[in-house]
Amino acid sequence: MKPLRIALTKGRLEKSTVALFEKLGYNCDEIHNKGRRLILNIGDGDFEVVLAKAADVITYVEHGVCDLGVVGKDTILENGTSFYELLDLGFGRCKFALACKKGHNFYHGYDAKTIATKYPNVTRKFFENKNMDVRVIKIEGSVELAPLVGLADGIVDIVETGSTLKANNLEVIEDVTTISARLIANTASLKLRKNEIEDLVRKMEAEVK
Amino acid sequence: MKKNLKVTPEGTRDYLFKECTAVNYVCKKIKKVFESHQFHQVITPALEYYDLFSIKSGEIAQELMYKTFDNTGRIVAVRPDSTLPIARMVSTRMQNEVLPVRLYYNQSVYRNNPSFTGRYNEIMQMGVELIGSKGKRADLEIITTAIQSMQAVSSDFRIEVGHSMLFNALADTLEVKDSIKESIRVFIENKNYSALNDALDKLEQNDTVTAIRKLPSLFGGREVFEKAESIIKVPEALDALDYLKSLYEQLEKLNLGDKIIVDLGLVKRNDYYSGIVFSGYILGYGDAILSGGRYDKIFDAFDCPTGASGFAIDINYIAEKAKYRSKSNIPDVLVYARNEEDIMDAIAYTSKLVESGVKAQFSDLPDEAQAREFAAELGIKKFEIYGDE
Repeated sequence: MKPLRIALTKGRLEKSTVALFEKLGYNCDEIHNKGRRLILNIGDGDFEVVLAKAADVITYVEHGVCDLGVVGKDTILENGTSFYELLDLGFGRCKFALACKKGHNFYHGYDAKTIATKYPNVTRKFFENKNMDVRVIKIEGSVELAPLVGLADGIVDIVETGSTLKANNLEVIEDVTTISARLIANTASLKLRKNEIEDLVRKMEAEVK
Repeated sequence: MKKNLKVTPEGTRDYLFKECTAVNYVCKKIKKVFESHQFHQVITPALEYYDLFSIKSGEIAQELMYKTFDNTGRIVAVRPDSTLPIARMVSTRMQNEVLPVRLYYNQSVYRNNPSFTGRYNEIMQMGVELIGSKGKRADLEIITTAIQSMQAVSSDFRIEVGHSMLFNALADTLEVKDSIKESIRVFIENKNYSALNDALDKLEQNDTVTAIRKLPSLFGGREVFEKAESIIKVPEALDALDYLKSLYEQLEKLNLGDKIIVDLGLVKRNDYYSGIVFSGYILGYGDAILSGGRYDKIFDAFDCPTGASGFAIDINYIAEKAKYRSKSNIPDVLVYARNEEDIMDAIAYTSKLVESGVKAQFSDLPDEAQAREFAAELGIKKFEIYGDE
């Protein structure tokens, strides 16, 4: 039987996931000494780990070339379509929030608001639920800049400590949703390799609870 | 203006030679299963009025459809699905026929998927519709036909079976807005345990909430029924569970072991499905390859209420995964007509060779040197010149 293939979001989530695997007793030496390799084995060939950018984790899992994936809820909300979301892993906690310049009354008046964000889908949905029709502008880099230079009335972005906001004289007006890392599974894989996947989910669940 | 001369629209492709052979091979195998159950082929137009796909219980998201206008300004859609066109056809052209009827189709559907996802927008589909009957006999025959179709094209497959009334009956007893019920349904469909728990934690805790919480994890073999029976208390939901169990017991007679899965968390669009639902998976492809169930409600929209069930299989992926080696396209003999007055005789001679079982081809090139070069490049073993010098 082929090992289960797991796509991990490179960076912070990767480190926490590897720590979780080590707590479960799987040998992760290959990941610690990965060099430039992108496909690695953990345990005694139990799993094959693929390192990818967050949105790509979803793409690989959706197409079934990876059975499982570890990805932030932020990426799922922005890009997700069809897969199973099996477990809240608890780490990588932060939140989506709406922020604007300190002292600015964001909701005041009837003029259409402009929002700058890296997450246009999340933003659109958030305001749709408030019955607000806003103009969304996608920004690739530091979103905090947009209200400062007068491009947008507010931003929707990931907030961890809030220090970047503070340093730029911005403040959170409202939380959109909380975020953490999730274990996702391909729909066909869960059906075809039910026992192996459920076994891993059970072990992980016991550890993160 | 830049002309799009060298690309096909996203999600579409050409099929060449062996690729066609693979498609035809798969279609032939499935057709054999369909016809053995006395399903007969129909073809519906590729263009339909948009209204057909926006009926109450069968609505298809409008951004998914390719649309245009007819010459009176009415919106026309390139069919995104074959079931609704067939429902339209049956409720009009076949209103005086003896029911039930068994139909099958082998035609593409078109869906405008988001860009750069690698999905096909032109999807070759084969499917059956059993219209005019309800109940266990119809359900078992349609599921069996689906299983046999999967068996015909794959040795490693899974069919999962669920019942849409199970969730609906549980959800009906919850005193919450429909939009919350719908989001709970989506959480179960996506096996999103954490979101489901968050949503259910906000409700008053009772037996039903406990049962709904467990639904997405209730999939597998026979043991699923025992687990479910102990936690489900709503009578209508228990009826659906009993019914599903009786189907499963019958399907066990096929001796397919764990290839048949019960999934109580299989809660596909509940505005559409009104009874059994099922999906099929094959190893190596990440999404359901077969999808079907019972959808009696759609015929209400055509003022012709009756039972309806069926399923569709996506062919593209199966044909792609199936590495069927077709025979070589290269002929054994190339026939060249020496003079212009020999052309008709040479064509007739080539036909005669073909009739006698030789793979012969008439050379359409203008002179002998070019014809010989063509034969050599392609590796045609025999070069024959027809006609006297």
